[in-house]
Amino acid sequence: MKKKLVAILLTTAMVTTGLTGCGSSDSSSTSSTATDTASTSTSASTETSSTDASAGTDTAAIDTSEHVVITYMTTGGAPTNGATEEMLEQLNAILTEKVNAELSIYYIDWTDYLSVYNLTLAQMDGTVDLVGTASDWLDAWPNVKNGAFLELSEDMLKTYAPQTWASVPAENWDLCKYNGEIYLMPEDNYAQWTNHGYAYRLDWAKEAGLENGVHSWEDLTTYFKYVKEAYPDVIPWDSDGTQYAQMVSGWISSHSNYVSIDGLNAGAMWGGTKDDLYTVYSPYMTDTDSLVEYAKMMKEWDEIGVWKTDVLNNTASDNREDYKIGRVAAEQHHTQTWTDLCSHKPGYTIYEDDEDAETGFFYFGEETQNVVALSITHGAMAVSAASKNPERALMVYDLLRNDPDCYKLINYGIQGKQWDVNDEGLRIQPDTYNKDTDAITTNFWWGRNDDLEIKDATMNWDAIDKLYAEYDKIKINYPYGQFVADVDNIQSMINNISEIHTNYMKQISYGKYKGTAEEIVAEYQAALEAAGINEVTAELQRQFDELYK
Amino acid sequence: MGKTKTKVAKPKSGLSFWQKVKRSRVLLLMCLPAVVFFCVFSYAPMPGIYVAFVKYNYRDGIFGSQFVGLKNFEFLVNSGKLFDLTRNTILYNVAFIILGNALAIFVAILLNEMRCKWFKKVSQTMMFLPYFISQVLVGVLVYNLLNYDYGFVNSILGKLGMEKWGPYSDASVWPVLLVIIHLWQKTGYNSVVYFAAIMGIDAEIIEAARVDGANGWQKIRYIILPGLKPTFIILLLFAVGGIVKGDFGLFYNVVGKNPLLYSTTDIIETYVYRATMTDFNFATASAVGLYQSIIGFCMVMVSNFVVKKIDPDYSLF
Repeated sequence: MKKKLVAILLTTAMVTTGLTGCGSSDSSSTSSTATDTASTSTSASTETSSTDASAGTDTAAIDTSEHVVITYMTTGGAPTNGATEEMLEQLNAILTEKVNAELSIYYIDWTDYLSVYNLTLAQMDGTVDLVGTASDWLDAWPNVKNGAFLELSEDMLKTYAPQTWASVPAENWDLCKYNGEIYLMPEDNYAQWTNHGYAYRLDWAKEAGLENGVHSWEDLTTYFKYVKEAYPDVIPWDSDGTQYAQMVSGWISSHSNYVSIDGLNAGAMWGGTKDDLYTVYSPYMTDTDSLVEYAKMMKEWDEIGVWKTDVLNNTASDNREDYKIGRVAAEQHHTQTWTDLCSHKPGYTIYEDDEDAETGFFYFGEETQNVVALSITHGAMAVSAASKNPERALMVYDLLRNDPDCYKLINYGIQGKQWDVNDEGLRIQPDTYNKDTDAITTNFWWGRNDDLEIKDATMNWDAIDKLYAEYDKIKINYPYGQFVADVDNIQSMINNISEIHTNYMKQISYGKYKGTAEEIVAEYQAALEAAGINEVTAELQRQFDELYK
Repeated sequence: MGKTKTKVAKPKSGLSFWQKVKRSRVLLLMCLPAVVFFCVFSYAPMPGIYVAFVKYNYRDGIFGSQFVGLKNFEFLVNSGKLFDLTRNTILYNVAFIILGNALAIFVAILLNEMRCKWFKKVSQTMMFLPYFISQVLVGVLVYNLLNYDYGFVNSILGKLGMEKWGPYSDASVWPVLLVIIHLWQKTGYNSVVYFAAIMGIDAEIIEAARVDGANGWQKIRYIILPGLKPTFIILLLFAVGGIVKGDFGLFYNVVGKNPLLYSTTDIIETYVYRATMTDFNFATASAVGLYQSIIGFCMVMVSNFVVKKIDPDYSLF
């Protein structure tokens, strides 16, 4: 009998190895978590007491006798050409002198960036101090709820990041709070537009008979049809099959007054309308006719051959680079990307090969003038809860964001090497600049500051300023900045809804569904309903009512 | 593996515990690494299963987080796909186990019958190689072979004036394709085990059979195949334990995130990956792991029980 028991235990061990394999990493991270928490909480308490004591005194009173390394985590591939290190050397000389700290950069490669990003935060072993984050594309709020970020008390901010504290208005700090505590330092003084749309060849659109360019989805159909016929070597748009959600939400913006709530799921499937902001609904359930029309149009695009036949397995495309050299005719991304594509930069051979070449932008929502300005937490800096030196991390961030020398170093590089100023006061690349050996990668998108920005001379400011002016006329501000949904009770439903949305939208957005458009939309909506989309809407409405009424 | 351990524990009557330990100290010492391994990597972390029942918070840790009961299991049940996913996973694994072992035995026998030494070595190496190719590369290879616009197969079909074949929009062909890919990758490796078992069969028996006038086929049928039976059953029992664990690498890399193919290719792993990686939920993932482990445990117990009923000598315990 005993023998049997031993054997049973062994079997258990055998079959559970897989499970406990991940369990073991969990438990080890827990133990380190526990100690980390202890250390941060003690340091936090000593810090507050010291803050109390030194309240009112200037930063000179802060003890910075110990030299520390502050690691800043950002998304993007690590550079290999050594130029970034060279820049950091200069930057660190300044940082050492001012706050006795130096900066190192921890890169999260773009491959599966969100998973790796979250996993790195979950380690909680003090690897990173400053964390670039975003409420709409980098899970800022889920990580706040999971305890990955440190609460930043007003005293802390006033003492260690005084310039940042002073420059961000109180109402913007309010948008960075969860349960009354500030967690994020927002990039709120930097003009950029990240509303999505299609960048396309304006000169080709004119050839296609669209004299004023593309201004609607129907125009896009005309455009793609023309490109396919007139330029058989060009793939109209070599999509990699991941833009399905952007496309359909763009369609909805273009055909309604829908304003989505950020950060609930990748599809941004809930929101209100411009006229009635605080009544939650999901256009994916209500706008059936519009969706059917969309499904039909995408089927048409698929038949035209806008993308490759196996678009859903097409992982090898590099559409944006191909656009610059004229292999494709459109790029679906946001305005910021377009500002780059429409500028005559070195290496953008379309402008050299064809002097008529121009890049236009059709933004989603153009038909209905439905454009929402960027949430200020589209880029923000947080401090890791496991950071051993949160105070110094704040001091470093304050300098990077507000000190002109540090700012230019981290954003542009070394003057004379990566950048220079021309007679008009615009930023240029020196003649000696070589993209391969001199480019720096810091991806500091979490505290750019228009007060210190120097306009880039290579950008096509005429076109950009014109579009920005148009946006400014029609935009509304993101209305739900203060809303951080409590999703504990609906998370499992949202997960399943996201999965359904992804599965059906990939088929619908790339016209790969079987049967008619009406059937696939009905099937999609039935699946959403079964997964509890109405319950989620009701729960969000309840939380909205609590906050806004 | 399990067998040696139970043998060590065999009691010698009339001796005290320490005497027994002393007597078999060499054997005990030999199995110590395995025991330590399982204690450290399987038993010690087992309390971590608890994470499947909490709302995990990084700072509070597994045991400090709030207990939520079976809530983490909810999403899998609510998805309404639990049955389909489990079915896909099990059916693929059944196909992999049965066909994989049958083919491996077949190949091992062929290798054994080969007389030309260098050809034997070369073909063995060739078959072994795919095992070392990363699943990511396998996915790329398959895509480049099969894709509609410029894939190798379709280029040839096009040149021959035949209609193109679009497997990436046809779910029905994937069970066959995936099994073929799996066999291509794993057969060389699996056949080594059987080849070794054939080598272990007493040469005198084969010699005697030949003297008695057995031909090649009879030798295989009456000596080699029965000789492989214990190996086959042990491998089978091990494989059955993992029957609800899918081969994530293969499915994720070859099928990718193409919803047109999910009806026949979605397994528990790929579904959970897609659904939980977006919100990075350890607890839900662990809940699924626990579900798979419990089913795996039951499967091993049941199949061992069945094997024992039929022939006690072949059971694991």
